[in-house]
Amino acid sequence: MKRLRNFAQALAATCLALSVAPAFADKANDTLKVAFTGEINNVDSYFNTTRGGVVLQRAIWDGLVHRDTATGEYVGNLATSWEWIDDTTLEFKLREGVVFHDGSPFTADDVVGTVEFIANPDSGVVTQRFVSWLAGAEKIDDLTVRLNLAEVFPSALEYLSGPISIYPSDYYAEVGPDGMGLKPIGTGPYRVESVKPGESYLLKKNEDYFDGPKGSPDIGTIDIRTIPDVNTQIAELFTGNINVAWRLPSDLAQKLDGTPGVMVTSASSIRVGFLMMDSAGRTGDTPLTDVRVRQAINHAINRQEMVDSLLKGGSKVVNTPCFPEQFGCVQEYVEYQYDPEKAKALLAEAGYDDGLSIEIYAFSNQDYVEAVAGYLSQVGITLDIKMLKFPAVLDKMMNDAAPMVFMSSGSWSLNDVSAIISEFFKHGAVDFARDDEILEWLDVADTAVDPEVRKEYYGKAIMKITEQAYWAPMFSYNTFYAFTDDVDYTPTNDEILHFVNMKWK
Amino acid sequence: MTQTVTNPTGAAFDRDPLLEQILGPTPGQMLRRRVLGHQGLLIGGAVIALLALMAIFAPLIAPHDPFAQSLMNRMEPPVFLGGSWEHPLGTDHLGRDYLSRLIYGARVSLLIGVVAAVISGVIGTTMGVAAGYFGGRVDAVVTFLINVRLAMPVVLVALAVVAILGGSLTVVTTVVGLLLWDRFAVVMRASTRQVRAREYVAAARAVGASTPRILLTEIMPNIANNLIVVVTLEMAHAILIEAALSFLGLGVQPPTPSWGLMVSEGKTMMLFEPWLVLIPGAVLFTLVLAINLMGDGLRDVTAPENRN
Repeated sequence: MKRLRNFAQALAATCLALSVAPAFADKANDTLKVAFTGEINNVDSYFNTTRGGVVLQRAIWDGLVHRDTATGEYVGNLATSWEWIDDTTLEFKLREGVVFHDGSPFTADDVVGTVEFIANPDSGVVTQRFVSWLAGAEKIDDLTVRLNLAEVFPSALEYLSGPISIYPSDYYAEVGPDGMGLKPIGTGPYRVESVKPGESYLLKKNEDYFDGPKGSPDIGTIDIRTIPDVNTQIAELFTGNINVAWRLPSDLAQKLDGTPGVMVTSASSIRVGFLMMDSAGRTGDTPLTDVRVRQAINHAINRQEMVDSLLKGGSKVVNTPCFPEQFGCVQEYVEYQYDPEKAKALLAEAGYDDGLSIEIYAFSNQDYVEAVAGYLSQVGITLDIKMLKFPAVLDKMMNDAAPMVFMSSGSWSLNDVSAIISEFFKHGAVDFARDDEILEWLDVADTAVDPEVRKEYYGKAIMKITEQAYWAPMFSYNTFYAFTDDVDYTPTNDEILHFVNMKWK
Repeated sequence: MTQTVTNPTGAAFDRDPLLEQILGPTPGQMLRRRVLGHQGLLIGGAVIALLALMAIFAPLIAPHDPFAQSLMNRMEPPVFLGGSWEHPLGTDHLGRDYLSRLIYGARVSLLIGVVAAVISGVIGTTMGVAAGYFGGRVDAVVTFLINVRLAMPVVLVALAVVAILGGSLTVVTTVVGLLLWDRFAVVMRASTRQVRAREYVAAARAVGASTPRILLTEIMPNIANNLIVVVTLEMAHAILIEAALSFLGLGVQPPTPSWGLMVSEGKTMMLFEPWLVLIPGAVLFTLVLAINLMGDGLRDVTAPENRN
């Protein structure tokens, strides 16, 4: 009996301890806990390929320029003004009095150091497209710097406001990308307290943050943890162990909506999903070289139904090989309405009235791919689905072994179609169309200084891509966020969590 | 109470009850009695028979086309959770009938179980019998191969191979079949060693029977009971590996209905729609349990020590 009583006491004590022990994420201790699904390969943003890394980049560092997500206008960030000296030279006046997290002042030397490093192909910046347009930089005086472009590059400001952030040059030269990844130092609204690679990232408010266009940070501590399983994230959200979960599957988000204490919001994103088809016949003899087959595929998929039932939220059907609000994504195209009968007729005309079978490769969004397969089976096209890891799919694409691929592109959050159309239609390894005319137009559009000329030539390319049905553009994505209801934040359409704009209610 | 039996000379005669009492039941009768008296074997066998019939007659039984999607009717709950009889087990994330997919999924599981067990059985038995019968260098080589094979983690190797070759029913079946022969080899080797030392094998050899003849007519029938047990164990093993691979996205490719794949597809909604995972999980559990029950039962009724 005594033993039983002891046990009961111990149990009660444990329950009591459990009920008060965990440090819940909340307003009281000014700590916002955030869950990331994937690991970040390197916090150094030039060696990162993950979405989580982009979020950290925007919190830790600043670029010379900032794009207002609401108006789309470029404003000075680390720079206060700029001027095109000629087509390939851009001069910046830098902001005075900015200091890095380690206390060292920000000067023109840091800009020169960073640009010289990233512009050098030997540095091995992972996404060369971000930096290959830069040739170098020169210091005019402590607060004036000139960027030299390797080519005429009209979207320079867009790239400077996005992936290109300025590092403290002496520190970077000393520690290199690995050191920077473990102990990052920047000028941004949050400084890094600790990095446990693949596990957790602790950020503290930068009390000395300058009064810039990003706004000033409000929440004191941001505690980011990697939680790969989305169900675990939700459970943590329920128990108050995290405040923010993002990029949630739409079904889960919908179920979560209405749960007391949890707030679900969504923001449409620049990411566009599409089917790539081997129209150039790179994989050998494939029915996809016939334009009628490609058009039939475009007609056979009920994209509206997919948007309504699978993607939900702010997703939209997209008819162009780019996000409609991107610069240069001219909305003049050949539209393919959902019309299975027409699809069947086109297939019959092409000589495939007995049906045909095509291999499709994909690395994510298995449900979308299966839904597409379901629609295509209605018109007699059997899709042989191959779900592989991303590197394996890329390998198939580059080695001419993938007749059809389901792919999505977020244009690296860049608001310019050069980040998607020029990526996929300039005869690179992932160009399935290999259309010489389109290549010519894109060359003009990518390097023209006059925005109207750019639009005209991108427009030509878009018209031909849709007319020839090189792709089946599908829909724009949508990012679902779940917050505990004490967090005040409005998500933006760039698929980035901006900690600097988050507040407690 | 008389019955006609055939005596060794071939002439039929009426067997009277007295004689029956003296002679006792025939071996066939004894086997039948042991089978009917073994609950595990009966239950396991019945479940497997049921699932096998379901797999064979899937097109007749399934209420809907397992591939027909209806995005407007996604994730409808099963009838016992408030769903409709139109979809007794509900619908999946693409609005496909869950019961139909479950029924067709039995085909994949049983096919992989049987074919993989046959492939590994042929390989393992050949190696094991050869090692046990010939001994010496053959035995050394086979033992070495068994050790090599045992040092490889099956699921990891299967994952790697499927990741390289791409998942498909054929690839998964073949890979699993090529990986699971070790238990066959070990058991067959040990049983063959025991049997080859028996007098009747020596006798067969003495009258000049050829080696293949001895292996086929003297050795094989006497190690068959062990073989049957290993076959059932490996069938269950293969089915689980297929489910694991499909769950990890490297097994049978969608939209082919496979129970492992169904668990995987329901995984993201596990918190809110647990039945999406529980239903295929429960069926998988039942099948594997039934196969193991049957294997145990077969061992019990065929083992020589239970014959008397």
